[in-house]
Amino acid sequence: MQHTFLDRYGDIDSLIHRLDPRTRIVTFTLALLIVVSVPPGDLIPFLLFYPFICILVMLSRVPFAYILRRCAVITPFALMAAGMMMLTGGTDQAPMRNAVIDARTGAAISIMLKAYAAVILLTLLTSTGRFHRLLEGMRALRMPPLLGVLSAFMYRYAFILSDEVMRTSRARLSRTPGSLRVGRFRTYGNQAATVFLRSWERSQTVYNAMCARGFTGEFPLTSDLRLGGGDMLFMVLVPAMFLVGRLMV
Amino acid sequence: MHIADGIIATEICVVADVVSVGALYAFGRRTRPDDIPRMGFVGAALFAVSLIHFPLAGTSVHLGLIGIAGILLGIRAFPVILTALLFQSLILQHGGLITLGLNSINMGAGALLAWGAWRMPRVPTGVRAFTAGFLGIMLPAFLMALEFEITGYGRGAFFILSIYAIVAVIEGGLCLSIVNYFQKVKPELLEAR
Repeated sequence: MQHTFLDRYGDIDSLIHRLDPRTRIVTFTLALLIVVSVPPGDLIPFLLFYPFICILVMLSRVPFAYILRRCAVITPFALMAAGMMMLTGGTDQAPMRNAVIDARTGAAISIMLKAYAAVILLTLLTSTGRFHRLLEGMRALRMPPLLGVLSAFMYRYAFILSDEVMRTSRARLSRTPGSLRVGRFRTYGNQAATVFLRSWERSQTVYNAMCARGFTGEFPLTSDLRLGGGDMLFMVLVPAMFLVGRLMV
Repeated sequence: MHIADGIIATEICVVADVVSVGALYAFGRRTRPDDIPRMGFVGAALFAVSLIHFPLAGTSVHLGLIGIAGILLGIRAFPVILTALLFQSLILQHGGLITLGLNSINMGAGALLAWGAWRMPRVPTGVRAFTAGFLGIMLPAFLMALEFEITGYGRGAFFILSIYAIVAVIEGGLCLSIVNYFQKVKPELLEAR
């Protein structure tokens, strides 16, 4: 089946796609940390953050329309948070540097700006290479071993199970079209249970097959992860740009 | 339920990230090598079922099944939930990367409470299953509201709990039907751990 949730733009040839996955992980995580560390109500840094982000999107050649669709995913949550800040937020927010808007409104706007900037950076991290390379990069960066091995298993079987979900969803929709009703708990429950059950059974079969082929509990890393001069430059330059924005007064 | 980056104070998120790594080691410590594939598969199943959306009150809600993860895996649900959330964050943008620890603690705590509810003695299976599903949503929602309150959003987040209560009832119902299905088809799954 067609999987639209993974690696859609992973094969584009761009400056960022050519970077080592470790470079992308470190760079975008640092940029993310700098962006989210902006105090609520401080809007000035975003005057630099967003142009930087636009430059990164253009360099990555990932379509803006796709980025906007990913932003739409967090809109309800971001709106809820901003709404709460405006309606019931604390009165101890930092005073605004301009008098046009009050502190709560400023804090609400900065929350929205931070959330969207963060989701764009996260989208860039995952859309500028194949996902399995990203996981390899994380393992090479010494992520906890249990997390690494679980990720490797999950990645292998997420596709199989997504196929299963699509198949069972199609079957469910053909039998029970329309919106959710209380009486349909059983239908959704049976669908989820079927997915779980098949996964459970396959886990044993696949694990036995892996053991028969000499699986020792570890997934070896490919050896073609290399950090070049360009990687180092990107890893220093991009976070430095965001840091300049963060320190802007 | 998945807290995005930039919403909660960074200091809280970073502390939660450190705590969640500690919890990953603590809860994953006694994991046997032959547990890993099953945990990976349940994690993949958690990720896959999050692709099942259903309409609710003009919006769309996806299945969480935190309660089921607790029932099936016990304390090993925490590492699995952390990994599934990492995937959801990176692939689907459900929750942030800096807030990964926070989301893991919220939902991992839900799974552990669900496991506790499932192990309640002398309570009918149906009640235990519904309670596990219900608490698997309500505890993370409560913790999320608490984190919003600490960050300075005021008590508004606690009103959101009423919406999550509806979702929790739905998850409780789903958990009940999944457990019923397992009891008919493969009851040994429910005796695990």
